[in-house]
Amino acid sequence: MPPIVVEVPEPEKGSFNHNRPAGKLLQSQTEHLREALLRHLRDIEDVLAINLKELKTERDVSNYIQKATAILHTQARKPSEKLGK
Amino acid sequence: MTVGLSRLKHLIVLMMENRSFDHMLGGLSLVTEGGQKKYPGVNGLTGNESNPDSNGTEIKVNPNAKFQGQLDPDPDHHFPGVDMQIFNGAPQGTARPRSMKGFVKDYFTQTNNVNKSHNIMSYFTPDKLPVLTTLATQFALFNGWFSSIPGPTICNRAFAHYGTSFGQVGMDIFEILRPIMSTYERMLAASKTAKIYYFDQNSSTMEIVNLLKNQPQIFATYDQFISDCAGNTLPEYSFIEPCYNDHEGPGGGEILASDQHPDHNVQEGEKFIASVYNAIRGNPTVWDSTALLVVYDEHGGIYDHVPPPDCTPDDKPADATATNTGAPFNFDYLGVRVPAILISPYVAKGTIVPGTEAGANARIFEHASIPATVTNFFLNGDAKRTKREAAATTFLDLLGDVARADTDLPFFTLGGH
Repeated sequence: MPPIVVEVPEPEKGSFNHNRPAGKLLQSQTEHLREALLRHLRDIEDVLAINLKELKTERDVSNYIQKATAILHTQARKPSEKLGK
Repeated sequence: MTVGLSRLKHLIVLMMENRSFDHMLGGLSLVTEGGQKKYPGVNGLTGNESNPDSNGTEIKVNPNAKFQGQLDPDPDHHFPGVDMQIFNGAPQGTARPRSMKGFVKDYFTQTNNVNKSHNIMSYFTPDKLPVLTTLATQFALFNGWFSSIPGPTICNRAFAHYGTSFGQVGMDIFEILRPIMSTYERMLAASKTAKIYYFDQNSSTMEIVNLLKNQPQIFATYDQFISDCAGNTLPEYSFIEPCYNDHEGPGGGEILASDQHPDHNVQEGEKFIASVYNAIRGNPTVWDSTALLVVYDEHGGIYDHVPPPDCTPDDKPADATATNTGAPFNFDYLGVRVPAILISPYVAKGTIVPGTEAGANARIFEHASIPATVTNFFLNGDAKRTKREAAATTFLDLLGDVARADTDLPFFTLGGH
């Protein structure tokens, strides 16, 4: 018995419309992203507020490096790069 | 434990946007073969369901749903609007039967056009939706999967991620109230793997604040999902988000929204569902060890005939200022019914999971069923949960002992006309 093959039609040409007014869901998404950025900014501010002269031990330094790297690793990612596993 | 469950290594949830059960699949009940109903178990439409319009004329369901251009403006699906759709304007504090008679009148408040308000009663005939219809009839279709809240996207999706919306009934950012954790955090804490695959960076995720900030490692794009299927590197639990907006691709091509949210093109969503299915089906190892749940987050203001049933109240109620109906909401009944299909080679062909029409034999599902199922299967139930999630029905018992033959399983070819 041959497998069941189902053809999936393409949308009509002209369906693409990136000038469509953005609905409430997309507007909410931008608000949530802005809030996430603000929170992220506060995280960066918290790390920037650390006085480097107070980092005396390797534990102190390690904690600082971890916080800074966690932020920079995200920030350094180019838009075209995929978010890997 | 069945053979299907013993083989299961990956659970994947694809959550689409804003279409009701009757709108997408209700037409299955009207298909006949040899003078008999072809799918008698489906709790779809009789063709006689109706709603009064703003002139008092009864408007029947109609089989002329369009892929695009018909539900613009976007039908109301916020809490007060859905309240109107379910209760038809019955005042708070009275006996309020869930009549499902207020859809047309509610859409009129947006369209100010009587004829256009009738579009809310439209449904697709099965031939228009070859992907969803094929999956619904070839695998397990839930007659009784309801959105978790009679409200919009964000709070409903929260139930899929956390088993609660933390008291929210709207689109506002919510705060996680510990000790409840997302399914992803639960999995990672137990050294399990979990991931949210969003379509691309232009579309991103609807699960933003708490996860993107705290758990960037659980996010990946849809391209990565395709690679993970091909390379046998899928996590144990995956949640897939479709494309939420029309945008240009990296090379300047056209990328259509595939979420099926009105007024996005429904056929593009069909293609996306087929793409997810084909990616799993295309790798025999993954196919044999994976269950895919295709489900919609809420009904999007579109007609469905089944009154939402009562449910276990959630831990935190919403007050009257949050609901905008003049009354608090105790999360003690569900939202409107949505399409939901469970796909696996171990699911018997044509399975219908009975809903409210089955009375005492009903099996009622909602989005808290997702974290409940993930937690029960992968974590032996070991997690702090809301009362609502603890009471939610799980669905992996639908996987049986027999793997269906390859020739008995559908395959989709994209790009047809």
